[in-house]
Amino acid sequence: MSDVLTAPHSRPIDLVPLYKALFLMVVAAFVAVPLLATVLGGFKTLGELRTNPFGLPTTWEWENYAGILLSQRYWQLLWNSTVISILTVVLTLIVASMAAFVFAHIKFYGSEMLLSYLTMGLLFPAATAILPLFIKVRDLGLLDSYFGVILPQVAFSLAMSILLLRRFFKDLPHELLEAALVDGCSYIDFFRYVTLPLSRPILATVGTIAFVHSWNSYLLPLVMLNSDALYPWPLGIMVYQGEYSSEWHLILAFITLTILPTVLIFIFAQKHIVAGLTAGAVKG
Amino acid sequence: MGLLRKLALAAAGLMLSAGAVAAQTTVKWLHIEQNPAQVKIWEEAARRYEAKNPGVKVEMQFLENEAYKAKLPTILQSKDRPHILYSWAGGVLKTQVEAGVLEDITAGVGSLKDNISAAALEAFTVDGKIYGLPFNVSQVGFMYNKDLFAKAGVEGDKIKTWDQFLDAVKKLKAAGVTPIVVGGGDKWPLHFYWTHLAVRLGGKPAFEAALKGQNGGFEGETFIKSGELMKQLVDLEPFQTGFLGFKNQQALGFFGDGKAAMNLAISHHSATQRALAADKKGIPEDKLGWIDFPMPAGAKGQPTDTLGGVNGWLITKGAPKEALDFVKYFVSDEVQRELAKQNFLIPTYKGAEAALSAAFMQNVARNIAASKYHQNFYDQDLGPSVGRVVNDATAEIAGGSMTPKQAAKAIQDAFKQGN
Amino acid sequence: MAMVRRRKAIDGRLSALLLFLPPALLLFTIFVVLPIVEAAWYSGFNWNGFGTPTKWIGLDNYWFVFDSRGFGTAFRNNLLIIAVSLVIQLPLALSLALILAERFRGSVALRMLFFLPYVLAEIATGLIFSFIYDGNYGLLASIFRAFGAEAPHLLASTQTSMLAILIVVVWKYFGFHMMLFIAALQGMDKNLVEAARIDGASRMQVLRHIVVPLLYPTIRLSIFFAVVGSLQLFDLVMPLTRGGPADSSNTMVSFLYNNGVSRMRVGYGSAIGVILFVICVTFAFTYKRWFMRDE
Repeated sequence: MSDVLTAPHSRPIDLVPLYKALFLMVVAAFVAVPLLATVLGGFKTLGELRTNPFGLPTTWEWENYAGILLSQRYWQLLWNSTVISILTVVLTLIVASMAAFVFAHIKFYGSEMLLSYLTMGLLFPAATAILPLFIKVRDLGLLDSYFGVILPQVAFSLAMSILLLRRFFKDLPHELLEAALVDGCSYIDFFRYVTLPLSRPILATVGTIAFVHSWNSYLLPLVMLNSDALYPWPLGIMVYQGEYSSEWHLILAFITLTILPTVLIFIFAQKHIVAGLTAGAVKG
Repeated sequence: MGLLRKLALAAAGLMLSAGAVAAQTTVKWLHIEQNPAQVKIWEEAARRYEAKNPGVKVEMQFLENEAYKAKLPTILQSKDRPHILYSWAGGVLKTQVEAGVLEDITAGVGSLKDNISAAALEAFTVDGKIYGLPFNVSQVGFMYNKDLFAKAGVEGDKIKTWDQFLDAVKKLKAAGVTPIVVGGGDKWPLHFYWTHLAVRLGGKPAFEAALKGQNGGFEGETFIKSGELMKQLVDLEPFQTGFLGFKNQQALGFFGDGKAAMNLAISHHSATQRALAADKKGIPEDKLGWIDFPMPAGAKGQPTDTLGGVNGWLITKGAPKEALDFVKYFVSDEVQRELAKQNFLIPTYKGAEAALSAAFMQNVARNIAASKYHQNFYDQDLGPSVGRVVNDATAEIAGGSMTPKQAAKAIQDAFKQGN
Repeated sequence: MAMVRRRKAIDGRLSALLLFLPPALLLFTIFVVLPIVEAAWYSGFNWNGFGTPTKWIGLDNYWFVFDSRGFGTAFRNNLLIIAVSLVIQLPLALSLALILAERFRGSVALRMLFFLPYVLAEIATGLIFSFIYDGNYGLLASIFRAFGAEAPHLLASTQTSMLAILIVVVWKYFGFHMMLFIAALQGMDKNLVEAARIDGASRMQVLRHIVVPLLYPTIRLSIFFAVVGSLQLFDLVMPLTRGGPADSSNTMVSFLYNNGVSRMRVGYGSAIGVILFVICVTFAFTYKRWFMRDE
């Protein structure tokens, strides 16, 4: 693919690379400017946002950021998000990999049917049934608890996760399982000691998808959580914005600090994240 | 299922049990007050109460007005709902009573009952039982910036009729002043126009007839006329640029910054505009005027009729008895006077209004006392779903996407659907 | 001996089955399947969620939904988002992919930059852009002022609120589609392209007749995600406009939230949910059957 578009003909001046570079620059600006403006805006005073929208801050207002970093509220939000996301990831991985293992290795009457039953989950978003889901969570007594958010999140991520994991499990050499069974190893042990250790890449992928979705999710926590002590950051930031309505410099600092973890994780784990999110999409 | 639930609860419990160990009663109090100066007094009242009642902790949680309204239905269904809730009474309160999520506090209120303004308490009484204690009453009217009026040569105290009001708007516009700022994004500030016109045009009889479905209900003449008059105003383009995107708090800040001449406000916003102004000072007392909502030609309502709210605290079912106890303290003479002294509200404790220090608020208190028909905000009075449609429809009139007729029909449809 | 081993294997299978399957089935049934079934049931009631539903009103909730202007607007807005995804976002993503699939200095960095918005939360994105669009302090307003023009309040006008949201949609999601295309391009058989070039095909010819046709499956996939994503769009709308002004920028999900959830009209909201469900499922099935048969 590398040379599909590079011209072999020796024309005097090839303008194509120039157009391409221009195009890339415009798009890069389109993407980057809002992000940079947000980060820098957090260092400005409210007045300076108007007078000096694009430049660097004339004086760096560190206290916008410091105030938030020193507030209990910011850390509480991050803590809640972390707890919810990690539990969602762990539960998704456990539940989905167990089910995927069965679908990959054990033939039984109705397995096809059950698999298509589970993959129905791919067809519609949680929002369609949000009200009955709310009633359900309420009746289970899970409103306003981490698990009121986590369990539905896990349930809705199962379909995709099971499909991805099952495909991977099936591709593992079949002889392994045969040999293990002959040696008297149980299915459960095989799953525990062979399948899982061999499946780290796909577990990372599935975990990444579940994590990103949970970390960013808004509707489920919005409906299920009431007390701000439990709010994950997307809810918290909306409350913050409601409180400080027009004090944009503070809001921008808050946005920056809340997306910072995402951006850092993205930079360090970009391979996994890109592979995970696109693979999840393609193979789903 | 029981096991799953237990497991989940246990795990959630483990994670939460970080702090709370002490064997004391915590009263959870959810409020929507945005003015830090006022919240400070509330907090001090809570701390004083705690000092007098060892073992009780009053925990305040804040939600922004619109977020609160959107969240309230789900909050009420939660087992861990707050014990004390903010309320505007009306149909919304009735629905909550029917749902059985509120505590009947008739017995607990006791003799305090006689010390509270009867009309205000009546608003929190459903079928003879008391469900909440009012702490503030308010009137809707135009607060205006005297300097900007002077600049345009408009005399605020001369404005009595709708036509005079429209003239004032035109004059202000001609003088290069933004006549009115409104928080159209929240919708309810716009519904005041339509509602107050209806209060003026039809008075109490029209509203009561509409509730019974007579004279075409909310699609009747009074309400279509209200929309048409509102449209008259909208057509003058009296509002600030981008008014449909402004939240009410932004609008109050805009007014406080002196960037617009008028705001159709709830009386206690006279204090809020100060807190939300950029300089935290806003329009000072002596520059702030008040115009009672003008009378349109052919209006059947009385000029003394008022549109306004009654705000109070509800006690939710299963709340500890300390919750009511604290609320009783909150509406006591002591705290009410303290709040009145700084003109944050019109108190409901009889006699506390004497503490009001601003002429502005004293005037409003007199208006409310003289009113024979005090109409609660429609969006609260008509219940949660119909009320919101009133807000939606009036915002559409202001945005030009619905005609007055369509708006009235939408409201009547919602009323008939009753859900 | 063989018999014993066989017995053991069956036992092992059974215990694995009984241990491994129920958690997934249970969670899925309770939190995914039952709610959607119950939505169909609740949609026949006028119910505010307290106690049990008793006021049966048949199909009325559906008529109320179809009768309301708001839902029509929301549906049109969803179609608009799909249209923009197809007409603007897809070509943008494809052309960027064609450029960035090659390795040159900075190509990986650019890919990452373009993908970054997709990873950011919709809520944060919405807030960032509500700042950009803010008529008083926003970047856009500053640009207008620099030219001496009056700053527009994009989010505050029924005429422009949707436009503002559409721009954010493109900003947020084009990188994802670009990555899909890049992955496909990198997996493409280079020999075909080489051969064509040797046969004297021009750059554009190769692109049009070989590369793009080979990308058709990915394009179909990209369209699929654009449509499904549009049908779910909610988080982005809330911080930007909450569906306003005057309901002009609701999507079907934000309409459901504003009219069903925040008013606790369980029946009405469930009816909207059922309609949305039917749209999603119908689309998914037909699309898969007609366009993605071979995958």
